[in-house]
Amino acid sequence: MKLQRLRVEQLRQFRKPFVLDDLQPGLNLVHGPNESGKSTLVRAIRAAFFERYRSTAVDDLRPWGDSAAAPTIELDFEHQGKRWRLTKSFLQRKRCDLTVGTDIYSEDDAEEKLAELLGYQYPKRGVSKAEHWGIPGLLWVEQGTGQDLEQSVEHAGDHLKSALNSLVGEVASSGGDEVMEVVRAQRDTLLTGGGKPRGDYLQLDKDRAQYQQDIAELNERIVKYQEQVDRLGKLTQEFDRTETERPWEEAQRQLENTRERYQQVERLEQQQNQEKSTLAQLQQNHRLLQQNKEHLEGLSKQLAARNKELNNAERALNLAEQQTPAIANRLMEARTAYELADKQVKLARLLEARGRLEQDLRRLEQQQQALNQNLSKAREYQQQVDQARQQARENRIDGAEVKRLKATEHQLNEETIRSRTIATRLSWQLEPGASLSLNHDPLEGEGEKQLLEESSLVIPGVGTLGITPGGEELASTRRKLATLEQTFNEQLKALGVDSVAQAEHRLSAFETAERALTHAEELLKSVAPGGIDPLLAQQSEAGRELQTAKNQLQATPEPDQGESVPGLAEADAAFTRAGASLDKAESDERKHQAELLTRKQARDNASAEWQRLADEEQSPERQQQLRQLSDDLASIEKQTADLEASLASRERDIREARPDLLRQDIERYQNTINNLRQTQEARGRELRDIKVRLEAWGAEGLEEQLNEKQAEFEQCTRRYQELHRRAQALDLLLTLLTEKRQALTRRLQAPLQKHLNHYLSVLFPQATLEVDEQLRPGTFTRGSELGQMTELSFGAREQMGLISRLAYADLLREAGRPTLVILDDTLVHSDNERLEDMKRILFDAASRHQILLFTCHPEKWQDLGVPPLDIQALKEGVVGETMG
Amino acid sequence: MPRFLHTADWQMGRSYSRFDTEDGAALVEARFEAIEKLAQLANEHQCDAVLVAGDVFDAQTVSDRTIRRVFNATRGFAGPWVMLPGNHDAALVESVWTRATRLGAVPDNVHLALEPGVITLQSQGLALLCAPLTQRHTYGDLTEAFNGYDTSGGLIRVGLAHGSVQGLLSDDIDATNPIAPDRTDASRLDYLALGDWHGTKQINDRTWYSGTPEPERFRNNEAGFALVVNVTGPGDKPEVTPIATGRFQWHQWRETLAVASDLDQLLQRLDALPEATVLDLRLEGAITLAGEDQLLGALSVAEARFRSIRCDRSGLQLEPTDDDIAELKADGYVGEVISELRSQQEGDRGEPARDALAILAGLLKGRDQEASQ
Repeated sequence: MKLQRLRVEQLRQFRKPFVLDDLQPGLNLVHGPNESGKSTLVRAIRAAFFERYRSTAVDDLRPWGDSAAAPTIELDFEHQGKRWRLTKSFLQRKRCDLTVGTDIYSEDDAEEKLAELLGYQYPKRGVSKAEHWGIPGLLWVEQGTGQDLEQSVEHAGDHLKSALNSLVGEVASSGGDEVMEVVRAQRDTLLTGGGKPRGDYLQLDKDRAQYQQDIAELNERIVKYQEQVDRLGKLTQEFDRTETERPWEEAQRQLENTRERYQQVERLEQQQNQEKSTLAQLQQNHRLLQQNKEHLEGLSKQLAARNKELNNAERALNLAEQQTPAIANRLMEARTAYELADKQVKLARLLEARGRLEQDLRRLEQQQQALNQNLSKAREYQQQVDQARQQARENRIDGAEVKRLKATEHQLNEETIRSRTIATRLSWQLEPGASLSLNHDPLEGEGEKQLLEESSLVIPGVGTLGITPGGEELASTRRKLATLEQTFNEQLKALGVDSVAQAEHRLSAFETAERALTHAEELLKSVAPGGIDPLLAQQSEAGRELQTAKNQLQATPEPDQGESVPGLAEADAAFTRAGASLDKAESDERKHQAELLTRKQARDNASAEWQRLADEEQSPERQQQLRQLSDDLASIEKQTADLEASLASRERDIREARPDLLRQDIERYQNTINNLRQTQEARGRELRDIKVRLEAWGAEGLEEQLNEKQAEFEQCTRRYQELHRRAQALDLLLTLLTEKRQALTRRLQAPLQKHLNHYLSVLFPQATLEVDEQLRPGTFTRGSELGQMTELSFGAREQMGLISRLAYADLLREAGRPTLVILDDTLVHSDNERLEDMKRILFDAASRHQILLFTCHPEKWQDLGVPPLDIQALKEGVVGETMG
Repeated sequence: MPRFLHTADWQMGRSYSRFDTEDGAALVEARFEAIEKLAQLANEHQCDAVLVAGDVFDAQTVSDRTIRRVFNATRGFAGPWVMLPGNHDAALVESVWTRATRLGAVPDNVHLALEPGVITLQSQGLALLCAPLTQRHTYGDLTEAFNGYDTSGGLIRVGLAHGSVQGLLSDDIDATNPIAPDRTDASRLDYLALGDWHGTKQINDRTWYSGTPEPERFRNNEAGFALVVNVTGPGDKPEVTPIATGRFQWHQWRETLAVASDLDQLLQRLDALPEATVLDLRLEGAITLAGEDQLLGALSVAEARFRSIRCDRSGLQLEPTDDDIAELKADGYVGEVISELRSQQEGDRGEPARDALAILAGLLKGRDQEASQ
């Protein structure tokens, strides 16, 4: 299908006729700015096909404000070698005319012809919507919807498939999908998605299980019932037989018989016991008599024994008495030895005391002598001390002051010498008697004086000479000298001496005295550290002690010098030994006395006993008793022998009768009777029980119930099997329908996939885009990317949408269908690189299909290799044409 | 010149599991009616007694109601009924009979032969030598005791027993309860009334199985009769007349449809059956879609007319003709599915394929009808 010419009139902004002419079989780029009428042209083409000419819902086609307008569209196109012309007017002049070659169609016929050609539908009423657009909806892309492929494919649906049928040489089933849906719905009432029973089918299966269980229970009960019936039969037989035979009666007879025999034995045993007790009494009596006899016979033996005992006692006493003198002797000796030892000890002690006193006395005398010596020395030293002290006191002088005095003297001497050297020497040689007075001092004889001061020399008579020593130094020397002299004199005065020599003399005396004092004091301290008074006290003390010791010694008796006296320690040891010996001797003596007494007592007792027995043994009563006892014993022994014979005989009888077995027999027979009776009673009870039970169970009609249950079970099973068969059949049918349908789809998919791959290889060389059952591009893979097309970016989706549409167009073309592609401002979201690829794709597609590309961005498409058609320019051209 | 009615194998208390509940109930009801019919026949033929040769009840533990209803159904005939316990209702120590007695359900004119021995119906001129089953399983010939039973000279000696005559009946009958074939001679019987075999069957001049009075299975086509036995005197040969008593006819057909006329024949035969029919039909072979339509229509009619009809078509393949297919307008992949199903019918999964084909055809037809409307 190649669109050649488009003419519109009274349509929106095209109030005047507008013609788009010379459309090329391949790519056509129509451009114009916004509002120029680009979209109106697209709308016009759509309206020409999709809208019913008589539709009242196409007001949008009317030019604004022009209610009298009849929007008209005129299309010329070529398809399969024939020329088609469509003229369609709306609203004010509703008309549709179609010329195909030489054939003319009008109104509805014309519209149906167009719909069949392109594969779309008309709306029943109102404006045409996307769901009516069919194949053109897929190939004619409105502005901004290029990416929404899915809906378009769905709407193209059957048109697309039927259009493609010729391609695959098969017929798609008309209405096959509805049949399949019904089959699926019917199957789904019986089976789950996984093929498991559901609904009635499932319930029937459960019911069957329930019936089976009920039947099994009933069967079990019936078996029980039958067992009980059998048991009842057997029991009844046994019960009746036992009632007839009455086996316990025979046992009863046996029991009575045995009891009789047992009672006889019991009587024998009673007699036996009585005789045994008699025998026991006799034996007891015999024993007593025997004892009496033995007692009497024992007296003589006792007497002999007593006699022996008496003799023994006598012997023992004598033996003890013989020892008495020796023991007494030993005691005496011990006592004497003791007394001697005692005396020796006392003597030794006395000697010891005297020795010690004499020693003390000597020591005290020595002490007193020493004290006397010390005292006299001390007194002597004291005197020396006092003298030294006196000396020191008299010569007391300060050493340091003496030193200073000597130093002053030394200075004075030096100054004097110096003054003399500088002083005015006044020498005189007077005529004896002549006197002069120097400074009031008479000068006589010869002499020399050094004058240091202004002096006046009075020569009597003559007058007075004034002498004034010259020089500066003289004056200071004189002043110093004077000061030193004054100091010297003061120091002398302070020391109380007249001269330095005296001071030194006194100092020497003082120091000597001091030394003597120290020496004397040390001596004194050596003999009387505490002074003399303590010495005196010691002396008197020592004198008193001495006196006391002398008195004591005098008081102590003086031992006899003739006696030999042992040492104290030796005496003590001897004394101790003597004491121990004495103790021993005394103890021995006491023991001996006690022993003597005891033995004497024993002898007396033995003697008394002997006497008593001797008397008794000889009495006549005893002889009589002995004879009587012998007789009695003989009698008892005979009775005993008789009894024993009788007992032995009866014992044999009893043993032979076996009373233990008899007792067991009795028990056995009793048990037998009891058991037999009880068993029979139990049978009777069980019979009654079973009868009652069977009556109850029988009334339930178990087997009839079972029959009915089985019938129900079989009915249920039949119904189940019917549903089972139906489920299987439906499942099979659905599976087959699905398989066949998929096979068909796959046959359609292959060519579409081929075309799709063709374009995709340009756009995304490494990518694949799979076509799904609905012939929609589905899974997209690129490298490791995997996903649905709908998950891609907007731009990519738009590009994919476009190449998919082109692929459909290729497919439709192969099927001999018209394939006009109209793109309204598409690919606005593509970057330059992609756009470049898309241009290559469009150019390629345009070699097979006519493509109308409307855009308001002509600059983007200038390298498309076709001359653009400028709406604006064409409009002007139209104006020009009209004017021309 | 006594005359009596010989019947057996009532099997009261049995249910019919193979039928729908309603049909089963009707069949059960028919068995009660059969007893009433027997009473009526006994009156009509002026019988002196009715002898029931075992298996009055199908089981020991039938419901009390069933017990009472059975005895109630005998009321139509006031003469003596003699009932012999069979293998289904043996006279055990506790049995359906003891229960019936306990319930007080047994009328005075009904004699229960619960112990082996002779029941003398003096005024009827009959001495009945009874061999009741008293054990659940019996492996000896109970009728052997008949040899030792003496009866007074004027009475007709009639044996009453339940079991299988040895060597005569097919092997599928239980080998238990054997009966010697020459029992009548050995025990000097005028007649031996037998039960256990559900079809009417003559063993010799004096020995008969009466069969069950109302058929209850598809085998034994001679079921549904009672015997009127006329014995003129001791030692005379009995005169035995089978009388139809059954209400329902049981048919079991196994048909193969190969050509179109087979179906026509079958439909004609169906048409010819009376209403009181219980039919079990199994079809094999192949049928066209049109033929199946026809068949289903006929079966639908028969369902309404007969007591019960069951048709097993699982062995019958659907073979749509080209016309059939064309009529279905099954194009595209649906057409492929039809051919696939047609070929699958032949294979292992033939049954589901056949069903699936039927369902699909139904759907397509329904669609066409919708479309045409």
